[in-house]
Amino acid sequence: MTLTDTPAPTPPSPEPPAARPIRWKEIVAVWLVLTAITVVGDLVVFPRVMPRSASTTMHLTIVTVVLFSVTAAPVGSLVYAGAVYALRHWRAGSGDEPPPEGPPYRKHNQLSIAWLSISAMLAVFLLVWGLGALAADNAVAQKATMTVDATGQQWLWTFHYPGTKVTTETPYLPVGRTVTFDVTSLDVTHSFWIVQMGAKIDANPGEVTTVSVTPTRIGDFDVRCAELCGLYHAFMTTQIHVVSASQYQSWLQTQELSA
Amino acid sequence: MNGRTWRYAAGAAVAVVVGAGVITAIAVGVATAAPHQAPLAARPAGTVVIGGKTYPHATLSIATYPDSMFGLRGAGGGAHPDWVSYSNDNLVVPANTAVTVTVRQYDSGGSLNNAYFGHVVGTVGGTEAVDGKTVRSVPADEVGHTFTLRAIATDAPPLYLNVPLPAVAGNAPNSVHIGYGDYPTPNIVTFTFLTKGPGTYQWNCEYPCGNSVAGFGGAMSTYGYMSGTLTVK
Ligand SMILES: [Cu+2]
Ligand SMILES: [Cu+2]
Repeated sequence: MTLTDTPAPTPPSPEPPAARPIRWKEIVAVWLVLTAITVVGDLVVFPRVMPRSASTTMHLTIVTVVLFSVTAAPVGSLVYAGAVYALRHWRAGSGDEPPPEGPPYRKHNQLSIAWLSISAMLAVFLLVWGLGALAADNAVAQKATMTVDATGQQWLWTFHYPGTKVTTETPYLPVGRTVTFDVTSLDVTHSFWIVQMGAKIDANPGEVTTVSVTPTRIGDFDVRCAELCGLYHAFMTTQIHVVSASQYQSWLQTQELSA
Repeated sequence: MNGRTWRYAAGAAVAVVVGAGVITAIAVGVATAAPHQAPLAARPAGTVVIGGKTYPHATLSIATYPDSMFGLRGAGGGAHPDWVSYSNDNLVVPANTAVTVTVRQYDSGGSLNNAYFGHVVGTVGGTEAVDGKTVRSVPADEVGHTFTLRAIATDAPPLYLNVPLPAVAGNAPNSVHIGYGDYPTPNIVTFTFLTKGPGTYQWNCEYPCGNSVAGFGGAMSTYGYMSGTLTVK
């Protein structure tokens, strides 16, 4: 190479094909259809796949899950509508040159303002609702008029009724009366979970954690351990029987007599 | 379809088949990872009247050992000859029947983590017989093992049993030879419980008799030693 060499002339680049106009109507149509399907799914499917509520806590949980899912439906659907459009129209066939990018959206103030304010409104809504729901759930503890000690150990739960001699693997609770569980563990970490009541709290050795719940329905409800705790973790289950106040009293008396 | 499309389709099909194969292999592996011993079925024993009602009666005889030398795992006692064990981990009993279980308890013991499991729960009369003497509980610091049973959620009607098996004195001389092991005179515990409909129940010991992890490792954390199933048919 010498100084007198001149660079080879670059071949003229082929004329780029014109950017195809975006068919907004198609995106909006797909967005609306996806939103409708998701909202119906949220309203119909979620309440059915979640356990039927057996406490005020679980009721609030289900309402919150459904409401948040419905709120998120248009946001998620917009993303999928864009993806579907891109897959349909901006796909390179085999051997094709990829189509050029569209013009960049710079300094598009309306779009920026709309995007930021809608996102902010949604985020603030989630925050306010979430804090309100948390406060409402925490307020349940103040209404508690009875306490039950729930003790986890590999691989069973036992329940003691303070002030009585009653200890059992299958506790009874009166419907409509708020109960606080004082939860602890005798060995490793477990997690006390009343599935249909939406109450869950870690059971730690040497510590007492509490969870309060107001049973709203008579029936038999599942207790499970929700923290992997060894060989029979999967079988660390029992049932809580929610009964009428009078049935509860007679159960407690029978247990007290046989204790 | 052109060649490339075929290749894509074939690749997708292979991926699905291989994925399904891997999942099946895992499922089969998990299902067979805990091989049970040959089932031990309760023997029919006529009928018995409990609380004025007549039930079919069946009996079952099991044992708890301070080791694994009682013959099941061969002369060497298997992988862990020194681990405590139940004689069988696969019990089968008939439905809607009064089942009388006899447990020969050859092991020493100590204190339960939870005194609750020193109480008899769920048997007929809420009692067990220890060497012929009827009791409602065993002192929580003299327990060798427990037979503690519960339903697996949604699989069987609720049934809870807790039967504490009193400890043999730690210095008791060996007087019995079974299989490849020598053992002291056992405590003989009998109890009767009523089965409900068919289902599978899980039982395990609640005395910390495993040799590590605060008494819940080893024999307590391995299938076939201190736990098993009770199948009601
Ligand atoms: Cu657990
Ligand atoms: Cu044991």
